[in-house]
Amino acid sequence: MIIRRNNRSVWSRAGSTANYTVLALFSLIALYPLWYVIVSSFSSSRAITAGEVSLWPVEFNIQAYLRLFDDGQLFVAMGNTIVVTLVGTLLNMVLTTLAAYPLSRKRLKGRNLLLMFIIFTMLFTTGVIPNFILVKSLGLMDTYWSLWFPALISTYNMFVMKTFMEGLPEEIEESAAIDGAGDWRILVQIILPLCKPIMAALSLFYAVSWWNSYFNVLLYITKSTQQTLTLKLYQMILQVNQSLLNNGSEGVDQVMLTPEGIKAAAIVIAVTPILIVYPFLQKHFVKGVLIGSVKG
Amino acid sequence: MNDKRSTLRNRFIRDRHLYLMLLPVILFYLVFKYAPMIGEMIAFKDYRLGDGIFGSKWVGFKHFESLFGSIDFWRVLRNTLVLNVYSLVFGFPVPIILALLLNEVRKEWYKRTVQNLLYLPHFISWVVLGGIFIAILSPSTGVVNAVLENVFGIEPIYFMADSRWWPVAYTLSGIWREAGWGTILYLAAMASIDPQLYEAAKIDGASKLRQIWHITLPGIRSTVAILLVLRMGNMLDVGLEQTLILQNQSVLDVADVISTYVYRVGLQNMNYSYTTALGLFQSLVSLILVVGVNRLTRVFGERGLW
Repeated sequence: MIIRRNNRSVWSRAGSTANYTVLALFSLIALYPLWYVIVSSFSSSRAITAGEVSLWPVEFNIQAYLRLFDDGQLFVAMGNTIVVTLVGTLLNMVLTTLAAYPLSRKRLKGRNLLLMFIIFTMLFTTGVIPNFILVKSLGLMDTYWSLWFPALISTYNMFVMKTFMEGLPEEIEESAAIDGAGDWRILVQIILPLCKPIMAALSLFYAVSWWNSYFNVLLYITKSTQQTLTLKLYQMILQVNQSLLNNGSEGVDQVMLTPEGIKAAAIVIAVTPILIVYPFLQKHFVKGVLIGSVKG
Repeated sequence: MNDKRSTLRNRFIRDRHLYLMLLPVILFYLVFKYAPMIGEMIAFKDYRLGDGIFGSKWVGFKHFESLFGSIDFWRVLRNTLVLNVYSLVFGFPVPIILALLLNEVRKEWYKRTVQNLLYLPHFISWVVLGGIFIAILSPSTGVVNAVLENVFGIEPIYFMADSRWWPVAYTLSGIWREAGWGTILYLAAMASIDPQLYEAAKIDGASKLRQIWHITLPGIRSTVAILLVLRMGNMLDVGLEQTLILQNQSVLDVADVISTYVYRVGLQNMNYSYTTALGLFQSLVSLILVVGVNRLTRVFGERGLW
């Protein structure tokens, strides 16, 4: 009996050590590609091309960064990305709130009809071409409105906020209404302060998706001075990728247009803001997902 | 009757500010969600820029006929389905396994650190991830091939340029980005399992594995079911940004999916009507899938999605 119990505890300790190790391994796998690109960005072109870079910078230098700074285009693009992200997120939050608050009031006449009107757009999504023709015929091409307008509300996020608002106690609002507060004042002074956690989560979701997206920019922004960080990266990567393929033989990387090191440095610059804010904001993201999973 | 009407009017007047708030919202949905649906009718026309949507000539099902008769259509449809099946079969179980492992970790700080690291890739743009993957898997400069060559003596593999390897790289990159993030809902479901069940099992002498099998897995069953059917509703949707950055000319036979085909042939070569027909086909099949899958959840005794 005693032996068996000892046996079991040895086994469970071994199992738990194995578990911790496996998880550590997975974490390393999750992290390594980022590490690799950081290390590459500080290595010499020669070392990268020779395939010598794996864990630490080889022939450490900051040439790639200096060249990117000199060129300056990437920082113009980053400025554009910041504008697109900030204004886009602000517009998203205003419109999402304007939709979620009235729709969370069960007394609203025609609420179900409106909900069906909105849900249908989630079920039947229109193709890229009709959207493209619409944006073009509205004359939005080459303005950031072509990015912002079609994405003013993420219906999914709107439903997350609506669900959250439905969960707030009704008494607070009722007593405010008795005191003569109108719907706008109730929304701004009472509801929104209670919505801080969900507002934080949703604005982060919106901001990250603005920062990361590139397909919409690819479609609608043709002027090179207006392009965003992700689009610049897309073009750099595509050049490399295509040159590598056109003559799929050994040593093709020598003829590529954007050296690997510069590409790596550009990637590091693009991803740094996310890496900086991520540790502070991570818990809000998780909260947002969990609220979203509770169906209204 | 009169009474009823007047209360209805009173309710509209009372809530006029709420309707005012909804005004821009409704406008948004009408202009940017419903108007493009009208635009879908160019699938039945020969759309020309000069003539506009309404001025172009009707051609009936011409574009659908040439679509279903073309090799390209069956190729992109097959690729779309195949890549989805790979992602589903290999990608779906990974977050569940990760969540099971994480759930057994007793040291809070360790658990939180691992979670933070695993969630991170989800927040990085596909452009960045694509760039990194292409660099790592490069046959001449990539670290993966360097290890394969130096340690195992294997000839360099053209992961991104070889039709046999590309789907593997595609599937793995998807798992790499989303597997950690996918654990959140499972972990939440596991956290809500009654701890007394584990206590009782322990007293009965059940091992860890038996506890996982008999308590944890049944406890997350409904979460698994819902996420699985949701995933199946998206079978015709392939991540456009992911595919576009990872694909290239030499693997188009396996990498070209509906959305990238629409972009390339439709927008770049200006075959608007033809690819709108393809897009409409995709939208309709997706609609049927989502509605059908919602029915299915109800059959399984779960609450539907609406």
